[in-house]
Amino acid sequence: MTTRIVDAPRGREPATPSRPPADLRVELGGLALANPVMPASGCFGPELADLMPVDVLGAVVTKTVFATARPGNRTHRITEVSHGMLNSVGIPSQGAAEFRRSGLGGYAALGAPVVVSIGGLSTAEYWRVADELAGAGHAALEVNVSCPNLERGGATLDTDPRAMSEVVAGVVARSSTPVLVKLSPQLQTIGDAAKAAADAGASAVTVCNSFPGLAVNPARREPELGNGTGGVSGPAVKPLALRLVWLAAQAVDIPVVGCGGIRSAADVAEFLVAGATAVQVGTATFAQPALMARIVAELPALAARLGVDRLADLIATLTTRPKEQP
Amino acid sequence: MSGPAALGVLEGERPVPACERAEVLVSRPLSDRYRLLRFRSPVIAERARAGQFVMLAPVTESGPVLPRPMAIYTRDAAAGVVDIVYGVVGAGTTALSAVAAGETVVVTGPLGRGFAIHDDTERVLLLGRGVGICAMTTVAQDLADTPVRVAAVLSGRHDASIIGADVLRACRADVRRVTDADGTSGVPAVRERLHRAFDVDPPQQILTSGSERLTRLAAQLAARWRATAQVSIEAHMACGLGYCHGCAAGDGDGTREAPLVCRDGPVFRLRT
Repeated sequence: MTTRIVDAPRGREPATPSRPPADLRVELGGLALANPVMPASGCFGPELADLMPVDVLGAVVTKTVFATARPGNRTHRITEVSHGMLNSVGIPSQGAAEFRRSGLGGYAALGAPVVVSIGGLSTAEYWRVADELAGAGHAALEVNVSCPNLERGGATLDTDPRAMSEVVAGVVARSSTPVLVKLSPQLQTIGDAAKAAADAGASAVTVCNSFPGLAVNPARREPELGNGTGGVSGPAVKPLALRLVWLAAQAVDIPVVGCGGIRSAADVAEFLVAGATAVQVGTATFAQPALMARIVAELPALAARLGVDRLADLIATLTTRPKEQP
Repeated sequence: MSGPAALGVLEGERPVPACERAEVLVSRPLSDRYRLLRFRSPVIAERARAGQFVMLAPVTESGPVLPRPMAIYTRDAAAGVVDIVYGVVGAGTTALSAVAAGETVVVTGPLGRGFAIHDDTERVLLLGRGVGICAMTTVAQDLADTPVRVAAVLSGRHDASIIGADVLRACRADVRRVTDADGTSGVPAVRERLHRAFDVDPPQQILTSGSERLTRLAAQLAARWRATAQVSIEAHMACGLGYCHGCAAGDGDGTREAPLVCRDGPVFRLRT
């Protein structure tokens, strides 16, 4: 026995060769990511670096930055709902200049490409934020078009494709990085909104933001949240978001970033097959702060289980076409 | 609880938190309203400062989506265990009550800023009601082997709903119980009793948790005795670390956000 082991050729392949590790890389409109997993805006901060290896993520995404400081909404801001959460935090912001001075560095130090989410209550505000961030060293911008737009009576910007196009085109013109556009889910025609974003120069669309919802406290005859309504996220919205991703991916040639209720590697696969090129994890991080790193670690085994060498080979591979038209 | 104008952010370092799947060692009723959960976490037990909290979630597919903030009731660094106490009030705590010994929970902590005990403090008064008492028991743990004298007024609906008395007594605290049932928990009665007990030799620090009325009383007593007061407050939370901004301790001032309970609190200086 000893002789046979010594004589065995060095570096011989095992009897049953295993697949090489899967290639997890994806390309997001000019932005090369090591893997498709990133946080959803507002559900991540540099604080998480204490609890997980953040540099394994495909990218990190900041909270939405506005031009000037804002305090956010009244309390209560969050509550649990059936298989999800409802939030109306109102996006407190330190303002773009202060974010560039004191906020961005904390994200840049994490070792993953930084996507800065930007917002505005008017067209000019979006452009001002893009101007303030020009050359700041981030990898991409994500335009949050679900903010109430004061020029349209508080309606969200993406309910008016022309207005959204104007905002996106202006941001693209001011930015040397890829620009993602995060769409809200309340659109009758997500495909049209995605097309408008693409035509305005967006490199990718993120589908989707949280779903408008209401939680009621019957004893007080009041909404549970201080702001009244809020956005529903979490496992409850996953099938809703998957449908929108599927519709958007058929409508445009630019990549789609899937977002809505993802909490496992298997969920990532569902979004990729439905048409997403990358995914954002939001609500699930609250209960499991290290979840995104665990998902990334599970991606090679996921690829092997689904029989692909490149994770990107899963993208838009849904074979039985649902009947609905985009 | 109190408006933001009344709250000041305390100074002091916060230990680096850890996140782990922790084994549940004990899960049982503690009184008619509250349950005790003990989990193994040498890291959190060793790092936790008095008044800090953890975020805790059962490991279930169909359970609650958000973790729940839980004050650290006691921690034993030598044994590597942490106790928390909670009332079963909603879906989250109902799911938690179903977790049995031997199962695991996802725990993140220690989190937030705890109570700050000043170097020259000789006497501390704890004013707590209900489960709020459990946010202050770690202070008595820390002071048990020091010359600092700890007195506690524990308020509850009735005798069986008061928790923490045994832990506080084991830490040499002088414990007084007041209840709604025997009519001793009303603020005027408590105030009168405390004046009689402490006017001659008052505490330098008053710590409170669990009741807005007791918080107001703490501020009044602090003014009377030239003491300082700190309050531990509760809030709905999602992340527990500060990045979600779900737990502002008030409505801000127009441009600036109010302090966050998870990051800047849960213990605040009470301006008197």
